[in-house]
Amino acid sequence: MNQHTPITQVVTEVDERREQRWKQYAWRLLPQTLFDPQTQVALDETLTLAVGRGDRQPTLRFWGWSSRAVVLGRFQSVRNEVNADVAAEEGIALVRRISGGGAMFIEPEGAITWSIHAPEAMVKGMTFPESYAFFDAWVIDALRELGVDAWYAPLNDITSTGGKIGGAAQARRGGAVLHHTTMAYQMNMELMGRVLRTSKEKLIDKGVKSADKRVGPLRQQTDLDRDVIIHHLIGHFRARFGLAEDTFSEEELRDAQKRVDDRFGTTDWLYFLP
Amino acid sequence: MHGEYKTPGGKLVVVDLEVNQGRLHNVEVSGDFFLYPEETLTAIVSALEGLPAKLSEPEIASAIDRATPPGAEMLGTSPEAIAIAVQRALRDGAEGPAKT
Repeated sequence: MNQHTPITQVVTEVDERREQRWKQYAWRLLPQTLFDPQTQVALDETLTLAVGRGDRQPTLRFWGWSSRAVVLGRFQSVRNEVNADVAAEEGIALVRRISGGGAMFIEPEGAITWSIHAPEAMVKGMTFPESYAFFDAWVIDALRELGVDAWYAPLNDITSTGGKIGGAAQARRGGAVLHHTTMAYQMNMELMGRVLRTSKEKLIDKGVKSADKRVGPLRQQTDLDRDVIIHHLIGHFRARFGLAEDTFSEEELRDAQKRVDDRFGTTDWLYFLP
Repeated sequence: MHGEYKTPGGKLVVVDLEVNQGRLHNVEVSGDFFLYPEETLTAIVSALEGLPAKLSEPEIASAIDRATPPGAEMLGTSPEAIAIAVQRALRDGAEGPAKT
């Protein structure tokens, strides 16, 4: 018998430890519920803090979009990222989320967004870049089951042979981590091109002249309904880690509303970087 | 005055500033990078505010580095990248997106 541990066994042990990090919790699912974009970003904070306090089990939440929106990263400047006149004309809400990263243009049926709210202990010992890849690894596997040749591209992208699919961002609050990801389902490139301002500096490194050359929305890649894809993601997660359906508590909804009133719905927050 | 720099394989950092009596003034740092904790941005901006505009890139970077709280993490950008954006803002002068 070989005295060395076979390499496949080492890999399996690492994988198994990663699986255990997920399986140690009793995961809750908050299925897609329609909220305005400000409430969605407030819920990110409400639920992350609730998990940090131990008032809520670790949670997978799918977002339901009730309107078009541009969701800005925590550190982005409004004027550098958005054509405000186009946003106003087209009824596109502007909101700022609590995580860093780039602006996303969202249409209700055009994107699939979810948040993972988990104790920070879940990613103990990992670097930030490692934790990004870790939280989206199951999605990559679920997409591959749908025939999408997807992989994780550090720092925070889900990409594929068919083009970039989505991006992730994280924030940490009160002993908990928020990891949220948005994937493109169907893109309105014309409107996105008008409402978002893309800096020339940014395109230098990407080596492309037009942003639309590097996206591979899931409808184009799978020909599946948006709800079918979401159902598949949930099924994959449930089978692999366990997942029990849950609802928002009255208290959570009140807390989110208060955060909209005090912070996320205010011009001070949106124009924190004008 | 406006300067931008994208870290290769990383994120964009944007610096807007004015110069008042040879010193950086009304500095704003933005971009699609990640900072943990989020308040690190305030520390970075405070470090830049009032710095002599004639400082070199490494000197600006080290001022940012010194002001960054221990344990803070920058992802996709760095003190050096921010210093480049500051220098570009000082050089380019004009408002508006970076010229290519």
